[in-house]
Amino acid sequence: MSTTYAADRWATEFQHVSDDDAELSAHGRYFSCDYLLDMGERSYIVRVHRGKIEEIVVDPGPLEAYQFALRASADTWRKFSQDPPPPMFHGIWAASFREDMSLEGDLLVLMQNLRCLTRQLELLRVTGAPV
Amino acid sequence: MARGVISPVTGHYVTIDVQGDRCKVFYLENGRGRPLVCQHTAGCHNHQWRDLLEDEVITRDYRVIAYDLARHGKSDPPHNTEWWKEEYRLTADYFVDFITEFCDALELEDPIFMGSSFGGNVALQLALRHPERFAGVIPVEAADYSPGFYLDWWQHPHANAAQVCASGVWDLMAPQSPEMDRRLTWFYYSQGAEAFKGDLYFYSVDHDLRGRLHEINGEECPVVLMTGTYDYLTTPEDSRRSAQQIKGGHFIEMPDIGHFPMSENYPVFRTYLQEALRHIEGATPKR
Repeated sequence: MSTTYAADRWATEFQHVSDDDAELSAHGRYFSCDYLLDMGERSYIVRVHRGKIEEIVVDPGPLEAYQFALRASADTWRKFSQDPPPPMFHGIWAASFREDMSLEGDLLVLMQNLRCLTRQLELLRVTGAPV
Repeated sequence: MARGVISPVTGHYVTIDVQGDRCKVFYLENGRGRPLVCQHTAGCHNHQWRDLLEDEVITRDYRVIAYDLARHGKSDPPHNTEWWKEEYRLTADYFVDFITEFCDALELEDPIFMGSSFGGNVALQLALRHPERFAGVIPVEAADYSPGFYLDWWQHPHANAAQVCASGVWDLMAPQSPEMDRRLTWFYYSQGAEAFKGDLYFYSVDHDLRGRLHEINGEECPVVLMTGTYDYLTTPEDSRRSAQQIKGGHFIEMPDIGHFPMSENYPVFRTYLQEALRHIEGATPKR
C-alpha cells in the first residue's frame, strides 16, 4: 500500500472498526491518548479520546504532537497485522524484545492505556497493515 | 445428593515452615499414583493447572498437586512476620526451600516437579540442588537465565497495576490459543500485581545458572524442558541451549503455543506433557 488514497481509506476503516469494537466500547471510558505508529514507509498519529478515535493523522508533519511512539519497519508491521501473526511479531512486547520495534516517548501514558491499546492494535489484524 | 456437577478436585491447606516464615499453603489435588507437583507462573496462582487437575487420563496414574506459592492465590503472606515492612523479592534459596518443605509436609515419595516460567527456572534449581528428592523435573518455558522482566511498571502507582500485569503478559500467549483460555489467564494476572514484581526478581535476577547447568545430572534426576514457539521471554532456542548443557537433558519444542501452555491451550500442552512423562518414567533410575 503506497498511495495516500489507500492510507486515508485505511484510516477511515480502522476508525470504524475500533469505534465499533465491543471490548473497547465496554472498557474504553478512560482510554485517551495520542500515539504515533511509525511504520517506516508511512506513519500515523492516532488520537483517542474516551475510547473513540478522534482523528488519525496520515504522515504527520514535523511539529505534530503525540505522547508516545511505536516504531518498527514496514515488514514488522505487516507481520504484526497478519492473522495469525508469526512468532515474535504477535504483540508490541514480543516485537520490542525480539524484533526491530521500539517504544519511545512517555511510556507511562502507554502503560496507563495498555489494556485498551493492546486491543486496538490487534484490530490491525482486521483491517490489515497500512504499509 | 448435590444437584450440581462436583469436580473431583479438592482443596486443602497445609502449614509449613520456610526459613522461619510460617506459611499456610493452599493446594488443589486430584488423582492417584506418583505425585506430580505443579508450580504456577510468577504473579499467578494454581488455577493455571485447572485442566490438568481434571484430566481423567493423567490423574489415573498421577496424583496431580498444584499449590499456591505464599503471597499468591489463597496462600497468604506469612502470618508470623511483618512482611509489609520490606520489599518482596523472591530468591532461589527461598523458593527451593519452600518447595522441598511443601513436599516433606505432604510426605511425597519420588515426586515429579513441573513448573512454568519462574516455576520452570526453579525446576532447574531443584535438579541442581536436590536431584535425589525428585523422580524428574519438567521445566516449562525455562532457561539457564531469563533477564529483562524485573520492571518497575508492574507496580507503578500512576498506572493500573492489575491491567499492566495482565496485558503485559498477553503477548506471551500464542494468538492461536483459544480466546477463552487466554482471557482467563489474563484475568488471573489481573489479581497478582503485588507478588508479580517480587517473583520476577527470582525470574530475571537471582536465577542465573549460566555456566552451571553441566553440574545437573539428568541421569539421576531426568530433566525435560518444554517451550512454546510464541514465548518471547524464553525462546525455544534458549531452552534447547539449556537442555544441551544438562547431562541427559531432553528438550521438546511446542509449536503454536506460548509462555502459559497449561493455561492458554491445555489440549495442545497435554500431548507434550504425556511425552515428557513417558520420557521421565523410562529414564528414572530405580531407588
